[in-house]
Amino acid sequence: MRKAISQVLSGSARAAVAGLVLAAGLAGLQPARASVSQSVMQETMQIGEEPGRISTEEVVIQNGPFARQLVFFRTSEQPGTVVVHTSERFLYLVLGDNRALRYGIGVGREGFTWSGLVKVSRKAEWPDWYPPPEMIERQPYLPRFMAGGPGNPMGSRALYLGSTVYRIHGTNQPETIGHAISSGCFRLANGDAIDLYERVPLGARVVIKHAPDL
Amino acid sequence: MTDRPLPRPGRRRNGALLLGLAGVLAGCGSSPEVLEQSVAASYPPAFPTGDLVGSWGIASYRAEEDRDRTVEMARQQCRLPYVIAQGPTDGVVMHVADDPKTYELKLKGSADGRTYLGFEAPPGHWQDREVLEYSKDLVVMRFVTPEVDTRYGTFVYVRCPE
Repeated sequence: MRKAISQVLSGSARAAVAGLVLAAGLAGLQPARASVSQSVMQETMQIGEEPGRISTEEVVIQNGPFARQLVFFRTSEQPGTVVVHTSERFLYLVLGDNRALRYGIGVGREGFTWSGLVKVSRKAEWPDWYPPPEMIERQPYLPRFMAGGPGNPMGSRALYLGSTVYRIHGTNQPETIGHAISSGCFRLANGDAIDLYERVPLGARVVIKHAPDL
Repeated sequence: MTDRPLPRPGRRRNGALLLGLAGVLAGCGSSPEVLEQSVAASYPPAFPTGDLVGSWGIASYRAEEDRDRTVEMARQQCRLPYVIAQGPTDGVVMHVADDPKTYELKLKGSADGRTYLGFEAPPGHWQDREVLEYSKDLVVMRFVTPEVDTRYGTFVYVRCPE
């Protein structure tokens, strides 16, 4: 089911994100390998979202590789660091002693992946959501602002990543865990998002890796 | 998104006529239900449907504690307003939930003094919105069907400046 994620930008896409790349670089990120237009960057998700669909806070991934689990994880990162492996669809919370708590995640679709080093700049429970204009066009009956709640695509919790528009957040579509469909955010099932939220403090270091270590 | 069939008032009316005709032909008293529906639909709404025409900033909330800030957020959404136009038969052109097409909807009063917005069906129809608050510049509505209300929350419409 997994797709290889393109790391190559078309020329036009490069031009489109030139400003973004510059901003990301200034923010301490590596230039995003992303063909992301500025309008999309104002929001965090757009395609395939189902605003209003309910996924309660109890939902966790129960089985399979994307279930939350303790794993062997060799890293030089300090305990408490969050390491996101985009291509693997895993998020690791480093525990030390070569161990980590691993969560299955949904990641940015092709052209919306990125890598970098950021810190958790803000935390929110049941965060608000602004459907992007493209979604309003397809689903004009949507509110332009949806206060946080179970039907909100942002899910139960959100960890805001530095000064970027990206977040680690819950979802009302837990079946999308393990897939690449977002616009650059990292999503967890609501129950897993709550679990991570309680373990990760403000200011925590977050390393986003696009390709696995060799 | 659920894809539900929309009510077809014309069909419903024809069906009612057929039911009524069948009742007369059969000589039984099966038509009062239809008559009751017609009577129930005749209560006046709290305000004229045309008052909804205009551009609105819309936002939604679920928890009452979010209401005030949702009103403020709705006000800020006038950069992407929801435009309600006058319909061809004194209704307004709007959407119902989970359907990108527009329909002509009307305000309907109910016997218990409530006001609903929806198709020409009895007030409180499953695709209706119930009007919870109304003033010239602020309308608060929620979908009648609990499942839809739970999904989308209570909608706040704040009139955008001309």
